[in-house]
Amino acid sequence: MPAAPTVEAMMLGKLDWSAIPFDQPIPLIAGGVVLAGILAVLIWVVVKGHLPYLWHEWITSVDHKRIGVMYILLASMMLLRGGSDAIMMRIQQAIAYQSQGYLPPEHYNQIFSAHGTIMIFFVAMPFVIGLMNLIVPLQLGVRDVAFPTLNSVGFWLTATGALLVNLSLVIGEFARTGWLAFPPLSELSYSPGVGVDYYAWSLQISGVGTLVAGINLVTTVLKLRTKGMNYLRMPMFCWTTLASNLLIVAAFPILTATLAMLLLDRYLGFHFFTNEAGGNVMMFMNLIWAWGHPEVYILVLPAFGIFSEVVSTFSGKALFGYRSMVLATMAICVISFMVWLHHFFTMGAGPDVNAIFGIASMIIAVPTGVKIYNWLFTMYGGRIRFATPMLWAVGFMVTFIIGGLTGVLVAVPPADFMLHNSMFLVAHFHNVIIGGVLFGAFAGFEYWFPKAFGFRLDERWGKLAFWFTFSGFYITFVPLYVAGMLGMTRRMQHYDVAEWRPWMIVAAIGMAVLSIGVICQIMQLVVSIRNREALRDRTGDPWDGRSLEWATSSPPPVFNFAFHPDVRGEDAYWDMKIAAQQQSLEHEEPEYHDIEMPRNSPTGFVCAFFATIMGFALIWHIWWLVILGSLGAFATFVVFAWRDHDEYVIPAAEVAAIDRVNLEERRNLVSMAGAI
Amino acid sequence: MSDQTHMHVEHDIAPGDEEQHSVGERIIGYVVGLGLALLLTATSFFIAGTDLVWQPSIPVALIVLAIAQMGVHLVFFLHITTGPDNTNNVLALAFGLLVVFLVVGGTVWIMSHLNQNMPPMDQFIRMHS
Repeated sequence: MPAAPTVEAMMLGKLDWSAIPFDQPIPLIAGGVVLAGILAVLIWVVVKGHLPYLWHEWITSVDHKRIGVMYILLASMMLLRGGSDAIMMRIQQAIAYQSQGYLPPEHYNQIFSAHGTIMIFFVAMPFVIGLMNLIVPLQLGVRDVAFPTLNSVGFWLTATGALLVNLSLVIGEFARTGWLAFPPLSELSYSPGVGVDYYAWSLQISGVGTLVAGINLVTTVLKLRTKGMNYLRMPMFCWTTLASNLLIVAAFPILTATLAMLLLDRYLGFHFFTNEAGGNVMMFMNLIWAWGHPEVYILVLPAFGIFSEVVSTFSGKALFGYRSMVLATMAICVISFMVWLHHFFTMGAGPDVNAIFGIASMIIAVPTGVKIYNWLFTMYGGRIRFATPMLWAVGFMVTFIIGGLTGVLVAVPPADFMLHNSMFLVAHFHNVIIGGVLFGAFAGFEYWFPKAFGFRLDERWGKLAFWFTFSGFYITFVPLYVAGMLGMTRRMQHYDVAEWRPWMIVAAIGMAVLSIGVICQIMQLVVSIRNREALRDRTGDPWDGRSLEWATSSPPPVFNFAFHPDVRGEDAYWDMKIAAQQQSLEHEEPEYHDIEMPRNSPTGFVCAFFATIMGFALIWHIWWLVILGSLGAFATFVVFAWRDHDEYVIPAAEVAAIDRVNLEERRNLVSMAGAI
Repeated sequence: MSDQTHMHVEHDIAPGDEEQHSVGERIIGYVVGLGLALLLTATSFFIAGTDLVWQPSIPVALIVLAIAQMGVHLVFFLHITTGPDNTNNVLALAFGLLVVFLVVGGTVWIMSHLNQNMPPMDQFIRMHS
C-alpha cells in the first residue's frame, strides 16, 4: 500500500533541494551569471524609471512591429544560449578522444538535446515569425495584423516556453533524449526525471503560441490587403509567409497531439509509445516527423521570401519569374507533407514505401531549384550592390546548394542506410538550416533593421560578421561531413577512433571562427547604436526598395500608413517612385482622416505569466498550483473577452503632423533624383 | 480612380465587415441545420439496430449518413458555401482535407509496412532456440 502523501509532497510535488545541481559547477555558474545579468538589467530599468515605458510601449503593446521586434530579440538571446551549447559540444568532441572530456555523459546528453530544441523552437521559429510580423502588414499596405491581441498572446507564450527550457538549467534537468525525445528512451521507465517533462511542456505551451501566430498571419495575408493588392501582386515574402503559416496551422497540431500522447504515457500510465502493453514506439517517429518535415519548410520558406526581396532590391530589378516563384512556393507547401518518412528510412519499411518517399524527397528539390535559378536570373544583368544583406543572400545561395545536394544524396534510401544518424547527416541539416534559415534571418535583420529602428546598421562590422560566419560555417561543418564518411555517428560523448580526431579539432577551430562572427554581429549593433545619428534614415527608403514597407517612414508610425496605398502592379512602391519622378509631384496637401487603432492590452503578458506557473507546476507535479495557473489563464481570457473599449482614435491633425515630416523628406528625395 | 483594381477587395471582405444578416434569418439557418443533423443522427441509430433493410447494406448506409452529416455541419454551421467570399474557406477546407488524407493515409501505409525488413518471426525464434 502506498504511503500517504506528506505535506511537502502535496505542497511542492517532486520539487526539493536536490533539484538544484550544486555538484555541477558549469550549469550553476552559467545560471548564476545569467540570473545576475537579468537582475542587473531589471534593477537598472526600475532605478532609471524605464519601467512604465517598457510596460506601456512594449510589454502590453499589440503593435505588430513591436511584437516582431520582441520576437527577434527573444530569438537573438536564445541564439546565444544555443550557440554556447554548440561551443561546449565542439570542445567536448575535440578533447574526448580516448578520454571522458570535460562533460560527463548525462550533462553532454542534456546539452545536445537543449541545443537542438532551443535552436529550432526558440531561435529559428521566433526569428522568422518576428520578421513576418514586422514586415508583412507593411508590405501588404495595411495598418495591423488580423488579431493584434492574439498576436501578443502568441509571443508571450513562446517566451514562456523559452523561459521554462532555460529554467531547467538550474532547477532540475533537461531531457537527455535528443531534440525530438524519441520513446522508449523518453518514457518514464528510461527517463524518470523531469527533463522530458520540461521539454514536453515548454513545447506544448510555445506550440500554442506558434499556432496562434500562424492563424493570425494566414488571416492577415488572406483578408487584410490594401486596395489593389491582388494575390499576384503581393511581394514574394508575403507569399512565403502565407505558405509557411498554412504549414504551421496544418502541422503544429500533429506535434501537440504527439507530445500529448507522450505526456499521457508519462503522467497517467498510458501505453501509446511504450514497449509493453501494445504500445508502438515507431508510431511516435511517424507522427513526430509528419510534423517535423513540414517544420523544416516552415522555417526555410520565409527565408526564401527574404532572399527574394533582398536579391531583387540589390540587383535593382524586378524578381525574375515571379509567377514561377509563387508556384514553386505553393508546390513546396504541399509536397512538404509527402516526404516525412525519409527521416526514418532505416525503420524497417519495405522497398515500396522507401522508394515512394525517396522519390518524393527528390521531387521537392525541383521547386527549390527553380527558386535558385530565379534568383540567379534576377541578378543576371542587374546593377548589383553588395551591401550586407546581399552578401548574406549570395552566401546563402552557394551554401544552400551544397546542403541541397547532400540532401538529395540522403534522399536515396540505400545511401541513407549508410549515412543515417552519422555526422554526415548532422553536417547536412546544419548546412541547410544555418545556410538557409539563419543566413536568411540575418539577411532580413540587416535589410529591415533601418525600417524597424530608423537608422542603418554599420556596414563594415556587418561585412566582417558575414565573412567570419560564412568561413566559420565551412571550417566547422565540412569536417563533420568527412567524419560522417569515416563512420562517426552523431551524439558521441567520447570516441576511440584516431582518424576522427583531427576533423573534430578542425571543427572546433571553425566554431571559434563562427563565434568571432557572432561577436562582430554584436559589435555591429553596438557601433550602429552609438553612431545612430550619422546612420539615420530620414526618407524611410534607405535601400531604394521596391515594396510597400519602404513607402512609409522609418520607423513607421503606429498606424503604418496615413493612407491605404493604391497598388497598381508588382513592386508597388517602385512603380510609385517612377510615377512620381515622371509626373513631377504637385505639392498639394492630402486630406487626412482619423485613424482607429487597437488599444494595448496586458492580456498576452498576464496569460503567459499564468501559463509559466502552470507549466512549472505540471513539470514538478504541484497539482494545486496547476489548478491555480490554469484558472488564472482562463480568467485572463474571460476578462479580455468582456472588454468594452478595444480601440482608440488618432485624430486627423496628429496623423497629418506625423505624415508631413516624412512626405517632405520623400519629396526632396524624388526631386533630387529627378535632377540627376 | 481604382475601379478595376478595387474589384478584388469587394469580393474578399475583411473579418467583421461581412454583410450583416438579420438575427432571425441566422437563427432559422441554425435551426434547420440542427434539425437536419438530428434527423441524420436518429436515422443512423435506427438503421444500425433495425432488421428492416438488407443487413450487408447497413455499413454502407452508415457511411453515407456520416458524409451527409459532415455536409450539413459544413453548410449550416461552418458556412462553407459557393458564394464569392467563400473561395478562401473552400480552399482552406480542401487543403485541410488533403493534409489529413496524406497524414492519415501515409501513416496507415507506413505502419503496415513496419516489419518488411525484419526477418520473419518464426525464423527468428528458430535462430535463437
